[in-house]
Amino acid sequence: MRTSTTKRMLVFPATAILVLLSLAGSAYAHHGFVSWFDMSRSITVKGTVTSFDWTNPHSYIYFDVKDEKGATQRWSAELGAVAMLARAGWKKDTVKPGDEITLIGNPAKDAKPQMHLDKIVFANGQELASAL
Amino acid sequence: MRNFLILSAMAVAATLALSRAALAQEAAKPGAAPDLSGVWLVEKFQPRLFPSGGAPFTPWAEAKFKATDLQKNDPNLACLPMGVPRFMIAVPYPMEILQMPTRIVIIHEGPQVMRQIYMNRQHPKDSDPSYSGDATGKWEGDTLVVDTIGFNDKTWLDGGGLPHTEALHVVERIRRIDHDTLVDDITVEDPMAYTKPLKNRQVYKLKPGWEIQEYVCEENNKYSYQAK
Repeated sequence: MRTSTTKRMLVFPATAILVLLSLAGSAYAHHGFVSWFDMSRSITVKGTVTSFDWTNPHSYIYFDVKDEKGATQRWSAELGAVAMLARAGWKKDTVKPGDEITLIGNPAKDAKPQMHLDKIVFANGQELASAL
Repeated sequence: MRNFLILSAMAVAATLALSRAALAQEAAKPGAAPDLSGVWLVEKFQPRLFPSGGAPFTPWAEAKFKATDLQKNDPNLACLPMGVPRFMIAVPYPMEILQMPTRIVIIHEGPQVMRQIYMNRQHPKDSDPSYSGDATGKWEGDTLVVDTIGFNDKTWLDGGGLPHTEALHVVERIRRIDHDTLVDDITVEDPMAYTKPLKNRQVYKLKPGWEIQEYVCEENNKYSYQAK
Protein backbone atom coordinates (compact mmCIF):
# COMPACT_ATOMS: atom_id res chain seq x y z
CA MET A 1 0.00 0.00 0.00
CA ARG A 2 1.40 3.37 -0.93
CA THR A 3 1.65 6.01 1.70
CA SER A 4 0.47 9.43 0.72
CA THR A 5 3.50 11.17 2.12
CA THR A 6 7.02 10.51 1.08
CA LYS A 7 9.34 9.41 3.82
CA ARG A 8 12.96 8.63 3.28
CA MET A 9 14.69 6.40 5.79
CA LEU A 10 18.34 7.35 5.82
CA VAL A 11 20.86 4.82 6.98
CA PHE A 12 22.75 6.96 9.47
CA PRO A 13 24.81 5.93 12.50
CA ALA A 14 22.68 3.44 14.41
CA THR A 15 19.15 4.71 14.53
CA ALA A 16 16.56 5.57 11.96
CA ILE A 17 16.39 9.29 11.57
CA LEU A 18 13.05 10.74 10.69
CA VAL A 19 13.35 13.65 8.30
CA LEU A 20 10.40 15.97 8.50
CA LEU A 21 9.64 19.21 6.81
CA SER A 22 8.92 21.65 9.57
CA LEU A 23 9.02 25.33 10.10
CA ALA A 24 11.90 26.92 11.97
CA GLY A 25 11.75 26.02 15.61
CA SER A 26 12.74 27.73 18.79
CA ALA A 27 16.34 28.40 17.89
CA TYR A 28 17.80 31.29 19.81
CA ALA A 29 21.36 32.38 19.42
CA HIS A 30 23.51 35.43 19.73
CA HIS A 31 24.04 35.38 16.01
CA GLY A 32 22.19 34.44 12.84
CA PHE A 33 21.14 30.99 13.91
CA VAL A 34 19.99 30.09 10.44
CA SER A 35 23.57 30.05 9.20
CA TRP A 36 24.76 26.67 10.45
CA PHE A 37 21.63 24.58 10.79
CA ASP A 38 18.91 23.64 8.35
CA MET A 39 15.89 25.01 10.19
CA SER A 40 13.48 23.52 7.63
CA ARG A 41 14.35 19.96 8.66
CA SER A 42 14.02 18.01 11.89
CA ILE A 43 16.07 14.99 12.91
CA THR A 44 15.81 12.57 15.81
CA VAL A 45 19.00 11.01 17.14
CA LYS A 46 19.51 8.57 20.01
CA GLY A 47 22.77 8.64 21.94
CA THR A 48 24.69 8.38 25.17
CA VAL A 49 25.72 11.63 26.82
CA THR A 50 29.47 12.09 27.23
CA SER A 51 29.37 15.64 28.59
CA PHE A 52 27.09 18.64 29.07
CA ASP A 53 28.65 22.10 28.80
CA TRP A 54 26.40 24.43 30.83
CA THR A 55 27.75 27.73 29.56
CA ASN A 56 27.26 30.84 27.43
CA PRO A 57 26.72 31.84 24.70
CA HIS A 58 25.57 28.27 24.04
CA SER A 59 25.31 25.15 26.10
CA TYR A 60 26.31 21.92 24.38
CA ILE A 61 25.41 18.29 24.84
CA TYR A 62 28.09 15.96 23.53
CA PHE A 63 26.91 12.42 22.92
CA ASP A 64 27.98 9.17 21.28
CA VAL A 65 25.85 7.55 18.63
CA LYS A 66 26.46 3.88 17.73
CA ASP A 67 25.81 2.55 14.25
CA GLU A 68 24.57 -0.95 13.44
CA LYS A 69 28.17 -2.18 13.18
CA GLY A 70 28.90 -0.91 16.69
CA ALA A 71 31.11 1.97 15.55
CA THR A 72 30.72 5.16 17.57
CA GLN A 73 30.42 8.70 16.28
CA ARG A 74 30.67 11.74 18.51
CA TRP A 75 27.84 14.22 18.04
CA SER A 76 27.16 17.65 19.50
CA ALA A 77 23.87 19.44 20.09
CA GLU A 78 23.85 23.19 20.50
CA LEU A 79 21.42 24.72 22.97
CA GLY A 80 20.68 28.31 23.88
CA ALA A 81 21.94 30.56 26.64
CA VAL A 82 22.05 29.34 30.23
CA ALA A 83 19.47 31.74 31.65
CA MET A 84 16.86 30.87 29.02
CA LEU A 85 17.53 27.15 29.51
CA ALA A 86 17.05 27.63 33.24
CA ARG A 87 13.70 29.29 32.62
CA ALA A 88 12.70 26.29 30.51
CA GLY A 89 13.52 23.99 33.42
CA TRP A 90 17.11 22.98 32.70
CA LYS A 91 19.89 22.77 35.28
CA LYS A 92 23.60 22.14 34.88
CA ASP A 93 23.05 18.47 35.69
CA THR A 94 19.85 17.88 33.70
CA VAL A 95 21.83 15.54 31.49
CA LYS A 96 24.88 13.68 32.79
CA PRO A 97 27.55 11.48 31.24
CA GLY A 98 26.06 8.05 30.64
CA ASP A 99 22.47 9.22 30.18
CA GLU A 100 20.68 7.57 27.27
CA ILE A 101 18.62 10.25 25.59
CA THR A 102 16.85 11.04 22.34
CA LEU A 103 17.58 14.43 20.82
CA ILE A 104 15.25 16.19 18.40
CA GLY A 105 16.35 19.25 16.52
CA ASN A 106 17.68 20.74 13.32
CA PRO A 107 20.61 19.16 11.48
CA ALA A 108 23.80 20.91 10.45
CA LYS A 109 23.64 22.17 6.88
CA ASP A 110 26.94 20.53 5.96
CA ALA A 111 26.04 17.02 7.16
CA LYS A 112 28.42 17.16 10.15
CA PRO A 113 27.37 15.24 13.26
CA GLN A 114 25.97 18.40 14.81
CA MET A 115 22.50 19.62 15.50
CA HIS A 116 20.60 22.48 17.04
CA LEU A 117 18.43 21.14 19.85
CA ASP A 118 14.66 21.56 20.07
CA LYS A 119 14.03 19.03 22.82
CA ILE A 120 15.27 15.89 24.47
CA VAL A 121 13.43 12.76 25.54
CA PHE A 122 14.80 11.03 28.61
CA ALA A 123 15.00 7.23 28.90
CA ASN A 124 11.85 7.32 31.03
CA GLY A 125 9.92 9.05 28.26
CA GLN A 126 9.89 12.49 29.87
CA GLU A 127 10.41 15.34 27.43
CA LEU A 128 12.18 18.64 27.95
CA ALA A 129 12.15 21.43 25.39
CA SER A 130 15.22 23.62 25.03
CA ALA A 131 13.18 26.82 25.11
CA LEU A 132 9.98 28.10 26.65
CA MET B 1 22.02 77.26 71.49
CA ARG B 2 19.24 74.80 72.31
CA ASN B 3 16.65 76.95 70.60
CA PHE B 4 18.89 77.19 67.57
CA LEU B 5 19.19 73.40 67.36
CA ILE B 6 15.44 72.92 67.74
CA LEU B 7 14.76 75.50 65.05
CA SER B 8 17.33 73.88 62.74
CA ALA B 9 15.80 70.45 63.24
CA MET B 10 12.35 71.84 62.49
CA ALA B 11 13.67 73.53 59.36
CA VAL B 12 15.23 70.30 58.12
CA ALA B 13 12.07 68.33 58.87
CA ALA B 14 9.95 70.90 57.07
CA THR B 15 12.23 70.86 54.04
CA LEU B 16 12.12 67.06 53.84
CA ALA B 17 8.33 67.06 54.15
CA LEU B 18 8.03 69.65 51.42
CA SER B 19 10.38 67.68 49.12
CA ARG B 20 8.41 64.48 49.57
CA ALA B 21 5.17 66.33 48.99
CA ALA B 22 6.62 67.96 45.91
CA LEU B 23 7.77 64.63 44.47
CA ALA B 24 4.39 63.06 45.15
CA GLN B 25 2.66 65.99 43.50
CA GLU B 26 5.00 65.70 40.52
CA ALA B 27 4.25 62.02 40.09
CA ALA B 28 0.54 62.58 40.42
CA LYS B 29 0.42 65.43 37.91
CA PRO B 30 -1.40 64.75 34.70
CA GLY B 31 1.40 64.49 32.10
CA ALA B 32 3.87 62.85 34.48
CA ALA B 33 6.20 60.50 32.60
CA PRO B 34 4.60 57.14 31.80
CA ASP B 35 6.19 54.14 33.43
CA LEU B 36 7.99 51.88 30.95
CA SER B 37 9.97 50.07 33.60
CA GLY B 38 9.97 46.31 33.86
CA VAL B 39 11.42 43.22 32.26
CA TRP B 40 10.27 42.81 28.67
CA LEU B 41 10.66 40.01 26.13
CA VAL B 42 10.15 40.36 22.39
CA GLU B 43 6.85 38.69 21.55
CA LYS B 44 7.75 37.27 18.14
CA PHE B 45 11.41 36.79 17.45
CA GLN B 46 12.31 37.76 13.89
CA PRO B 47 15.93 38.86 13.66
CA ARG B 48 15.70 40.10 10.08
CA LEU B 49 14.21 43.42 9.05
CA PHE B 50 13.54 41.95 5.60
CA PRO B 51 13.01 38.19 6.04
CA SER B 52 12.05 37.79 2.40
CA GLY B 53 14.59 40.24 1.02
CA GLY B 54 13.79 43.51 -0.66
CA ALA B 55 15.75 46.01 1.40
CA PRO B 56 15.97 49.31 -0.54
CA PHE B 57 19.74 49.19 -0.88
CA THR B 58 21.97 51.79 -2.43
CA PRO B 59 24.50 50.21 -4.80
CA TRP B 60 27.17 50.41 -2.08
CA ALA B 61 25.01 48.63 0.49
CA GLU B 62 23.82 45.99 -1.95
CA ALA B 63 27.38 45.08 -2.86
CA LYS B 64 28.40 44.94 0.78
CA PHE B 65 25.38 42.81 1.68
CA LYS B 66 26.03 40.33 -1.13
CA ALA B 67 29.65 39.98 -0.04
CA THR B 68 28.67 39.28 3.57
CA ASP B 69 29.18 35.79 4.93
CA LEU B 70 26.73 35.18 7.78
CA GLN B 71 28.98 32.49 9.19
CA LYS B 72 32.07 34.67 9.37
CA ASN B 73 31.32 38.38 9.36
CA ASP B 74 28.67 38.75 12.06
CA PRO B 75 30.11 40.93 14.84
CA ASN B 76 28.08 38.88 17.32
CA LEU B 77 30.38 35.96 16.57
CA ALA B 78 33.01 37.90 18.53
CA CYS B 79 30.47 38.81 21.22
CA LEU B 80 30.66 42.43 20.05
CA PRO B 81 27.79 44.81 20.84
CA MET B 82 24.57 44.58 18.85
CA GLY B 83 24.22 48.30 18.17
CA VAL B 84 20.86 49.87 17.34
CA PRO B 85 18.27 48.77 16.28
CA ARG B 86 19.58 45.19 16.51
CA PHE B 87 19.68 45.57 20.32
CA MET B 88 15.90 46.03 20.22
CA ILE B 89 14.94 43.51 17.53
CA ALA B 90 17.32 40.60 17.37
CA VAL B 91 17.91 39.61 20.98
CA PRO B 92 15.38 36.97 21.99
CA TYR B 93 16.42 37.31 25.61
CA PRO B 94 14.78 39.60 28.17
CA MET B 95 15.61 43.25 28.61
CA GLU B 96 14.87 45.48 31.56
CA ILE B 97 13.98 49.15 31.31
CA LEU B 98 15.20 51.19 34.26
CA GLN B 99 13.67 54.63 34.28
CA MET B 100 15.10 57.70 35.94
CA PRO B 101 14.15 61.34 35.31
CA THR B 102 17.36 62.18 33.43
CA ARG B 103 18.25 58.82 31.97
CA ILE B 104 16.61 55.62 30.81
CA VAL B 105 18.84 52.58 30.89
CA ILE B 106 17.97 49.34 29.15
CA ILE B 107 19.90 46.31 30.33
CA HIS B 108 19.83 43.18 28.19
CA GLU B 109 20.53 39.55 28.88
CA GLY B 110 22.48 39.35 25.65
CA PRO B 111 25.83 40.10 24.05
CA GLN B 112 25.43 43.84 24.67
CA VAL B 113 24.58 44.47 28.27
CA MET B 114 23.43 48.07 28.24
CA ARG B 115 21.96 50.94 26.26
CA GLN B 116 21.55 54.44 27.70
CA ILE B 117 19.02 57.08 26.65
CA TYR B 118 19.75 60.60 27.93
CA MET B 119 16.58 62.54 28.55
CA ASN B 120 15.99 66.09 27.38
CA ARG B 121 19.45 66.96 26.20
CA GLN B 122 21.07 67.58 22.83
CA HIS B 123 23.48 65.25 21.06
CA PRO B 124 27.08 66.22 21.83
CA LYS B 125 28.93 67.75 18.88
CA ASP B 126 31.55 65.52 17.26
CA SER B 127 31.26 62.65 19.70
CA ASP B 128 33.41 59.62 19.01
CA PRO B 129 31.46 57.07 16.95
CA SER B 130 30.34 54.17 19.10
CA TYR B 131 28.51 50.85 18.83
CA SER B 132 25.39 52.21 20.52
CA GLY B 133 25.59 55.77 19.23
CA ASP B 134 24.32 58.67 21.34
CA ALA B 135 20.66 58.35 22.26
CA THR B 136 18.55 61.27 23.46
CA GLY B 137 15.00 60.90 24.67
CA LYS B 138 11.95 63.07 25.27
CA TRP B 139 8.32 62.45 26.04
CA GLU B 140 5.57 63.25 23.60
CA GLY B 141 2.47 62.50 25.61
CA ASP B 142 2.63 58.81 26.43
CA THR B 143 5.39 58.08 23.89
CA LEU B 144 9.11 58.05 24.53
CA VAL B 145 10.79 59.41 21.41
CA VAL B 146 14.41 58.27 21.16
CA ASP B 147 16.80 59.78 18.65
CA THR B 148 20.14 58.04 18.11
CA ILE B 149 23.12 59.14 16.00
CA GLY B 150 26.88 58.91 16.35
CA PHE B 151 27.27 55.28 15.38
CA ASN B 152 30.39 53.52 14.24
CA ASP B 153 29.96 51.18 11.27
CA LYS B 154 31.00 48.00 13.05
CA THR B 155 27.54 46.56 13.68
CA TRP B 156 24.76 45.10 11.59
CA LEU B 157 21.30 46.66 11.58
CA ASP B 158 19.77 43.25 12.14
CA GLY B 159 20.51 39.57 12.44
CA GLY B 160 20.45 39.18 8.68
CA GLY B 161 23.57 41.18 7.88
CA LEU B 162 22.10 44.51 6.76
CA PRO B 163 25.00 47.00 6.63
CA HIS B 164 25.03 50.64 7.65
CA THR B 165 27.42 53.57 7.73
CA GLU B 166 28.31 56.17 10.37
CA ALA B 167 25.48 58.26 8.89
CA LEU B 168 22.95 55.95 10.56
CA HIS B 169 20.10 57.74 12.31
CA VAL B 170 17.51 55.78 14.28
CA VAL B 171 14.29 57.20 15.66
CA GLU B 172 12.16 55.11 17.98
CA ARG B 173 8.71 55.75 19.38
CA ILE B 174 8.28 53.58 22.44
CA ARG B 175 4.91 53.30 24.09
CA ARG B 176 3.35 51.05 26.70
CA ILE B 177 0.00 50.32 25.06
CA ASP B 178 -1.31 48.33 28.00
CA HIS B 179 0.12 47.07 31.27
CA ASP B 180 1.72 44.02 29.69
CA THR B 181 2.60 45.29 26.22
CA LEU B 182 5.34 47.62 24.99
CA VAL B 183 5.67 48.73 21.39
CA ASP B 184 8.75 50.20 19.69
CA ASP B 185 8.12 51.76 16.29
CA ILE B 186 11.56 52.03 14.71
CA THR B 187 12.62 54.17 11.76
CA VAL B 188 16.10 53.65 10.36
CA GLU B 189 17.65 56.21 8.03
CA ASP B 190 21.02 55.91 6.35
CA PRO B 191 21.04 57.66 2.98
CA MET B 192 24.46 56.16 2.18
CA ALA B 193 23.02 52.65 2.50
CA TYR B 194 19.26 52.82 1.88
CA THR B 195 17.25 54.81 -0.61
CA LYS B 196 14.35 55.23 1.79
CA PRO B 197 13.75 54.87 5.54
CA LEU B 198 13.36 51.37 6.96
CA LYS B 199 10.44 50.89 9.32
CA ASN B 200 9.88 48.12 11.81
CA ARG B 201 7.57 47.53 14.76
CA GLN B 202 8.59 45.45 17.75
CA VAL B 203 6.15 44.26 20.37
CA TYR B 204 7.31 43.16 23.79
CA LYS B 205 5.44 41.46 26.61
CA LEU B 206 5.99 42.12 30.27
CA LYS B 207 7.67 39.29 32.18
CA PRO B 208 6.69 39.77 35.82
CA GLY B 209 9.04 38.03 38.18
CA TRP B 210 11.81 37.62 35.61
CA GLU B 211 15.22 38.93 36.60
CA ILE B 212 17.99 39.77 34.15
CA GLN B 213 20.64 37.09 34.56
CA GLU B 214 24.30 37.10 33.78
CA TYR B 215 25.26 36.28 30.19
CA VAL B 216 28.99 36.12 29.62
CA CYS B 217 29.21 35.63 25.87
CA GLU B 218 33.00 35.34 25.93
CA GLU B 219 32.99 32.36 28.28
CA ASN B 220 32.70 29.56 25.75
CA ASN B 221 32.31 31.18 22.37
CA LYS B 222 33.21 28.60 19.74
CA TYR B 223 32.63 30.82 16.74
CA SER B 224 35.25 32.88 14.95
CA TYR B 225 34.73 36.31 13.47
CA GLN B 226 36.28 38.07 10.51
CA ALA B 227 35.57 41.76 10.24
CA LYS B 228 34.81 42.97 6.73
